[in-house]
Amino acid sequence: MNNEINVAFIGNPNCGKTTLFNAYTGANLKVANWPGVTVEKKEGQMSYHNKKYKLVDLPGTYSLTSYTMEERVSRHYILEDEVDVIIDVVDASALERNLYLAIQLIELGKPVVLALNMMDIVEERGMEIDLHRLPEMLGVPVVPVCARKRTGLNVLMHAVAHHQNKTSDRFEHHHTAGSHEHSHHDEYAMVYSDDIEDKIDKISELLSVKYPNLKNYRWHAIKFLEADQEICKKYPLNLSGIADRSYEEDIINQRYDFIEEIVSEVLVNKEEKSQNTDKVDRIATHSIWGMPVFFGIMALVFFFTFTIGDWIKGYFEMALEWFSGASSEFLVGLDAGRVLTSLIVDGIIAGVGGVLTFLPNIFILFLALAILEDSGYMARVAYVMDGIMSKIGLSGRAFIPMLLGFGCTVPAVMASRTLENKGDRLRTILVTPFMSCSARLPIYVLLSQMFFGDGAMIAAYSMYVIGVIMAIVVAKLLSVFAKNKEENTLLIELPEYKSPNARTIIIYVWDKVRDYLTKAGTTIFVASIILWALLNFGSTGMVTDMSQSFAAEVGRFLEPVMKTAGLGYWQIIVALISGIAAKEVVVSSMSVLYGIGNIASQGGMASLTAVLAASGFTAVNAYSMMLFCLMYVPCVATIATIHRETKSLKWTLFAILLQLGTAWLCSSVFYTIATMF
Amino acid sequence: MKLSDGLIGSSYAVKEISLELPAKRRLEILGMTSDAKVTVLNSKKSGTKIIKVRGTRFAIGCKFAQQIEVEEVDKRGDMI
Repeated sequence: MNNEINVAFIGNPNCGKTTLFNAYTGANLKVANWPGVTVEKKEGQMSYHNKKYKLVDLPGTYSLTSYTMEERVSRHYILEDEVDVIIDVVDASALERNLYLAIQLIELGKPVVLALNMMDIVEERGMEIDLHRLPEMLGVPVVPVCARKRTGLNVLMHAVAHHQNKTSDRFEHHHTAGSHEHSHHDEYAMVYSDDIEDKIDKISELLSVKYPNLKNYRWHAIKFLEADQEICKKYPLNLSGIADRSYEEDIINQRYDFIEEIVSEVLVNKEEKSQNTDKVDRIATHSIWGMPVFFGIMALVFFFTFTIGDWIKGYFEMALEWFSGASSEFLVGLDAGRVLTSLIVDGIIAGVGGVLTFLPNIFILFLALAILEDSGYMARVAYVMDGIMSKIGLSGRAFIPMLLGFGCTVPAVMASRTLENKGDRLRTILVTPFMSCSARLPIYVLLSQMFFGDGAMIAAYSMYVIGVIMAIVVAKLLSVFAKNKEENTLLIELPEYKSPNARTIIIYVWDKVRDYLTKAGTTIFVASIILWALLNFGSTGMVTDMSQSFAAEVGRFLEPVMKTAGLGYWQIIVALISGIAAKEVVVSSMSVLYGIGNIASQGGMASLTAVLAASGFTAVNAYSMMLFCLMYVPCVATIATIHRETKSLKWTLFAILLQLGTAWLCSSVFYTIATMF
Repeated sequence: MKLSDGLIGSSYAVKEISLELPAKRRLEILGMTSDAKVTVLNSKKSGTKIIKVRGTRFAIGCKFAQQIEVEEVDKRGDMI
């Protein structure tokens, strides 16, 4: 037998399950998809008292019916796979709702340990939970933990280790919904009314005759009474005379009756003091003020990204300048040769280094998004934006992936998974790339600082606004042309506001920064070398004049097409093409193409402005280019993600063409109108 | 009355949910069973609400709120 113990983590959304899971596994985990579905599966390993444990993080879910993908995935894993112990993470501050899943898990008949999370919030509110009575009523061990403060972790694993062969113990409940005896019911926590229990007994008997190898008759019988489609199809059974309708509503009601009984016994001082969330919400979700508050917060986020980010960026630039100079001297000193020196200094250091100087801006942006997410505000956005979103045929919830798109399109496209409706999900995926991601920020910063002087911040901020407007227009058009017009109705939990947790935020931000650094080290590194080669080699070999290079030929070929957008310059076209590898590469490409060492510095910008102005490239062209960069083909990583999420080559190609077409059209229209005056 | 007409600060008991089965079940699973107490915390003109059910806050779209029949149990419109 395998010595490894399989532990499954399950819980309601917002219960702190992932924080608890991370507390055990750290960064050491394997992320994959569940077979056949785009629901993320996280696996980690740990050892405790010389035993190995395999931890699996199941998707957050409110119940174990088979209505959503997440529920089905969790249920299958527990029923079919070899789960030894289930850890049900329960938000103690919302005990009543969380116990619903707990009761269903206990009914599955596998060993369950209840991890009572967020006990600190319970204490804060002056409530108390009777930790002696709760396990008595549920028949499973209950361990108070605090995932954010990492307390109770060892005790929880200890309970898991000792509970792996037991399903239930210590019943002391007096839940008597029935009037006549069901002798064997002493072993179950949740006992239904006589009527239902009689039916469960009868169905169990039928099942034991027809399917003698079935493991948990009671659970399956309950599923038959709930008219669970999956189970009814899998185990056909004639129930006429026993259950001729669905008893799901009765079952749900009775479960909540039992939960009310538990809560009334174990929760002391139920009159809670949780007025803070309501106070904040009175403004944050106000019918009039909600939206200005939201846009104010977003404006603040981008203000910090620009001012503080740029201030730190100055130091990064100085370091890069020094490093570039030193490397050049060092290589000349080594007699390294012209080609190698050019490759390293003009290709790699200029390309990768240029992108790295934007690290402060990206760090601040993700920090802000992490704080918004962790504080609980992000869910409110769905409510605030619901009105507008429903007008364009999306649910308010679709705004969250779109908002994440301001950070990075890749996780944003992935976040669209949270939408249950397929059409809704597809439309969200198609419009999310219009939300200006952080990689496009360097382009705006560079161009707007070069051409718009004091108005630089407004010019850059306008990109974000235009991106949002474009997303809205495109979503509306998509919903008009959609084949099946289903309604998307908002239904989302609004968690309590809490002060953001440093550890959670550090993990989140570090994850993104690492992604960005890896990208600089891989994609951008390779793109820099390829581009350098394309720019420095032509049909005659290595060229000194860049206008003779391969890249220039491609750029010149496309010049007529891009002329309408005011972008008919081969250097600009080459830079834009290179930006498909990653949008921020546009900046480094421009520095290589125009031969400017430190493009983001005052001197670098001044010389680039001079070079561009000499070729007739003015502020109008610059703004047109910003518009084009905002909308054109997303980066390779995004294209790959869209393909993975839609599982359709057709839709991926559609997404690419949609963006390219919109970008060309918008910048052309803008350029034509702007040059008329 | 309909939940969508509920006033901020008032509490209601759920009487009937006349939605398609999957939507109805989703609401029931979240605790909106018959006679469950729902408190309206915030509201938009359209009928979209923020409600509190069994200790948890939910934002619920007007399309859902319009199909939920409720009965007033506790009016304290001036409190919240």
